[in-house]
Amino acid sequence: MKTEMPLSKPIRLFIRQTEEILDTDVSLLRNPEADPNGTLVDIYTYNVEKNIIVFPAHYMGLLKDFIIAKHCVRLLIKGAAAKKSRYLVCSFTGDSVYKGMHQIYIDALKDEAKKEKKLPVQKLIRMLNILYTNFNEDLNELPWNPITNASVYHRMPKIRKTQLYYLMKEGKKDMDEMMEFEDIIPRRYFVLNKAMFYARDLYLAKTLPADELMPVLNIPQMKKFNHLEVKEMLTTRWTHTSWYQSKVFGDNMLEIMEKYLQKIDWNGEPGLDYFHDLYQIGVNMTNHFTSYMSMKSWFVWETPKHLQEAREKKKEYEFEALKKIFGDLIDRSSFDEERGES
Amino acid sequence: MTSKEVDALVKKGRSYAIRTRFKEAMAYYEKALSLDPANPEAWYLRAAVFVETGRNAEAIRDCERAIALNQNYSEAWSKKGHALYNLERFEDAVFACTRALGLNGNDASAWYIKGVCLDELGRNDEAQVAYGKSLELEIILDMEAEKRKAGR
Repeated sequence: MKTEMPLSKPIRLFIRQTEEILDTDVSLLRNPEADPNGTLVDIYTYNVEKNIIVFPAHYMGLLKDFIIAKHCVRLLIKGAAAKKSRYLVCSFTGDSVYKGMHQIYIDALKDEAKKEKKLPVQKLIRMLNILYTNFNEDLNELPWNPITNASVYHRMPKIRKTQLYYLMKEGKKDMDEMMEFEDIIPRRYFVLNKAMFYARDLYLAKTLPADELMPVLNIPQMKKFNHLEVKEMLTTRWTHTSWYQSKVFGDNMLEIMEKYLQKIDWNGEPGLDYFHDLYQIGVNMTNHFTSYMSMKSWFVWETPKHLQEAREKKKEYEFEALKKIFGDLIDRSSFDEERGES
Repeated sequence: MTSKEVDALVKKGRSYAIRTRFKEAMAYYEKALSLDPANPEAWYLRAAVFVETGRNAEAIRDCERAIALNQNYSEAWSKKGHALYNLERFEDAVFACTRALGLNGNDASAWYIKGVCLDELGRNDEAQVAYGKSLELEIILDMEAEKRKAGR
């Protein structure tokens, strides 16, 4: 890695260690339009020649360092999987899309039967697509999040306050996810989606000792959290809101999460074997989640290339699935029109 | 050539620099400097491009020119600190950042570079203070950026 960006010592060393373990290069790129969580463009996922960690241009200090640390852990997990076995992700096929959308449809019908105001068919179709995609994306991200965060916490003590800020911000964003669809998606999926994030937040709140993550009290916007521990902050947020009903599911998911993550020695010797173990734990945990949510047939473990190709074919998969579900009610032109492609 | 036109050249250079098109940015800054060598902003911005492209010694020279023209130019002190850090002149970088912060205590970048350099020098307690201040300011900037984004 060669960069003219200032980097704190632990991050500089961690990037070097990542490069050495994986025998690869890591580049850093500042971009005004970058996602606030940063983006990892890596050789194990994309057809690119080098690994690039992209982050927003206004992150110039520890926020940037945290993003880099987080993505280095992800890169190590992906790279170790690719080198020691195969790096696979949650992908989908025509058949799995049908199974997922069909299940959502059945559950939606059950919900609709109880509603006075019925959902128009076009909205229902749109919801099937959105919900299925949403769970695919979340299952590819969420199980890795506690692994990455706990790992960064133990390996980078100097950026723990930054990490706290991120957890607060990320947790809030995830709580708001799918809010606009609250009234149209089956309750079961809304609750399950929230429960996944609840479990993640609670796990992190339990895992990362509160005293070291005390908020940066000089920041006016953080003052409201004064005297609260991280655990309190995250649990208060969940238990004092309408998401409280996610608690039962969330507690079960937290149990699943803990079952897998308690096996990890967070201070273990970093190397290919260590990060491959993290990968395996993440895969097993994801499988347990899909099983718990009765979504096992919805997705398939496949290569990142398979997922990219599946995304390109997704419209076709969805059309075929809808044809099977709704029969002649679905025709090509209305489907394209609905997708804004006529 | 009026100062308005020099400002326009500087602005144009800046717009290229933001998009990391440093070659084009440099051309505009140089044109501006050839017309008005007493423009501290053009020296400072050229220094910023030098830093981005790894030409740290030239960056330091440009920062010093900017500072000579405007003793209170905090950004130029901060950029000088950055270039000195890149050259691993940590003590000098701490000095430059401290000067920058004396002029503008809300420069998150200067606090961060100061923290990094103090860390490299093994002055851990001082580094933690600088990191803490830098994080505070960065979070405020981030919250503002989020607000702007939400309002778009």
